[in-house]
Amino acid sequence: MSRTQRIGRDVLASLLSHKQRAFLMMLGVTVGVAVLSAVIAIGQGTSARVMELVQHHNLDMIMVRAGGDVQVFAPRADRGLSTLFPEDARAIEREIPNIDLVSVTQNKRNVNLVYEDRSAVTRLFGVDPSFSEVRHRPLIVGEFISNADMSSMARIAILGDAVAKTLFPQGDAVGRTIRIENEPYVVKGVFAPVGMAANNEDNQDDRVVIPYTTSARRMLNRPFVEQIVMRVIDTSRIPETAEGVRALLRVRHNIGQGKPDDFFVREPDHVVDAAFQTPRMLFSLMAAVSIVALIGGGLVIMNLMLIAVSQRSREIGLRRAIGARTGDITQQFLLESLFVALVGGAVGVALGLIVAWGLDAAGLVVSRITWVPFVAAVAACTVVGIAFGVQPARKAAHLDPAASLSGRAA
Amino acid sequence: MMIEATNLTKSFRRGNVETEVLKGVTFSIPHGEFIAIMGPSGSGKSTLLNILGLLDRPDGGTYLLDGTDYSGANDEVRSAARNRKIGFVFQQFHLLDRASAVRNVTLPLLYAEDGGSDGIARAERALDAVGLSHRWNYLPNELSGGEQQRVAIARALINDPQLILADEATGNLDSKSGAEVLDIFRHIVQEGRTLVLITHDQEVAKRADRILTFGEGRMLATNDLRSRPTDAQPGAAAPA
Repeated sequence: MSRTQRIGRDVLASLLSHKQRAFLMMLGVTVGVAVLSAVIAIGQGTSARVMELVQHHNLDMIMVRAGGDVQVFAPRADRGLSTLFPEDARAIEREIPNIDLVSVTQNKRNVNLVYEDRSAVTRLFGVDPSFSEVRHRPLIVGEFISNADMSSMARIAILGDAVAKTLFPQGDAVGRTIRIENEPYVVKGVFAPVGMAANNEDNQDDRVVIPYTTSARRMLNRPFVEQIVMRVIDTSRIPETAEGVRALLRVRHNIGQGKPDDFFVREPDHVVDAAFQTPRMLFSLMAAVSIVALIGGGLVIMNLMLIAVSQRSREIGLRRAIGARTGDITQQFLLESLFVALVGGAVGVALGLIVAWGLDAAGLVVSRITWVPFVAAVAACTVVGIAFGVQPARKAAHLDPAASLSGRAA
Repeated sequence: MMIEATNLTKSFRRGNVETEVLKGVTFSIPHGEFIAIMGPSGSGKSTLLNILGLLDRPDGGTYLLDGTDYSGANDEVRSAARNRKIGFVFQQFHLLDRASAVRNVTLPLLYAEDGGSDGIARAERALDAVGLSHRWNYLPNELSGGEQQRVAIARALINDPQLILADEATGNLDSKSGAEVLDIFRHIVQEGRTLVLITHDQEVAKRADRILTFGEGRMLATNDLRSRPTDAQPGAAAPA
């Protein structure tokens, strides 16, 4: 055992034999860490819930449709308005800073899909590789459209869940060759099931998706698209961003002042931030409280230890007499405050997570328990234990041994 | 020589007043001798003991401990020497009050160079030497004053030091316990160790081989008791 290990064991024995003192020292840190870990658990739960809502309702997506106010809502027919082009999508990607991913979508209704003796009639979309991320439509199996698929106009297809189940009841779709409008396509992936869209406009699982280049050149023989969808980075600035997209498209489409748009910019149905402003404010407040509590806990440790150094000056003198170096005494008191802070922190994490879990169970908040509070607690306690232990430890180490043995030291 | 002190001086400053506590003290103590230091309060004997124990440094003069001058050595070297060469016994025992006898006895092993290997066996031997092996796990407040001091002596012995420094070691004890402690001291000296005992008790001092008498920061007299065999008989009862 090294010298430090021996001193560490001695400190543990000493703390265990002074449980009341150790308990009082722990208290402040325990409260601070409890608040901190509850705040983290609730904060993580809340932001996960927000992300879920954002993804489910596409609250971070702006959609541009071809045709302006004059467009006719015609769900049963493709409108054939030729105002939006892939170049518009690339321009948005380039020019609008608050947008990171853009995809065009072409579509065609009532497309025939056949695999062996099974068939389906569904809606076909031609899209860019970023489509899956923009629309938050992950795959459950296989891969999405790649850049290589785009440049080679690959005959590959991604199936919606319902279509995949119709054609491949055994679930072995990927790698199979199906026929779309009598042309062979290899199934590259299958979307995770979504269920009905929020507006019930159509079944999101009943579709087939192919690369835009393939749909434009091989299937539909037209360059213009029905929609451009894009993902917003900062959802609190959706209105300004949508306005920027609109201004950009008006310039690109040479629309003179006073003339109506030949496109329609659609923002998300709900605003994300308004709904979550209250918890977010509370979260910041609680985070501040936990930091104050932690500093308070550190001050408690420091003051109790400064008092202890005075009370224990004879012990310190004795330890010096029997061979302790100043460095050994420093280590002893630093390890003591570190142990107290870490044990106090461990109790605090447990308490905080129990509170967060209880509030969640009571339906008051959404909390999620991850490894983050544990790491945060260890880090916070180490910092507190060392930062607030330094002064008492230095004081203890620099007591004059002869004077402290005779009780003359401060 | 275990101890060679030459012209030691030491002053303390309290406020603007500087007090010269040691005014040039010269003496030497060979290995294996039992020395009593006597003198009234303020005669400088505790200051001298702190210097001999490497807890304090003299302002002037030289002090050789077992032939080595530690006055210029750093904290690490002096701490190691205290740990290995010197055992302290105090009037107030200075035991850790929440720690068992064995934990108190093994405390110096924390700071030992060899890492306190076979610490338990050494603690057993040390407690056995003071007749307390049956009090192994007792807390100080479960022990009598004499027993507490014997635990403290076992602590002083655990690193097998050559020199024991005892400051009024019997001062807080009744006469019977005091006599037991003095018997242990005599035994320690018979093992070849050097023992320096500060006392103001003439009867206690008579158990030593030699008495150094201090007054006003100077050594006033040295009195060799071995020339009077009646007082040097081991085991003689020490009246209070």
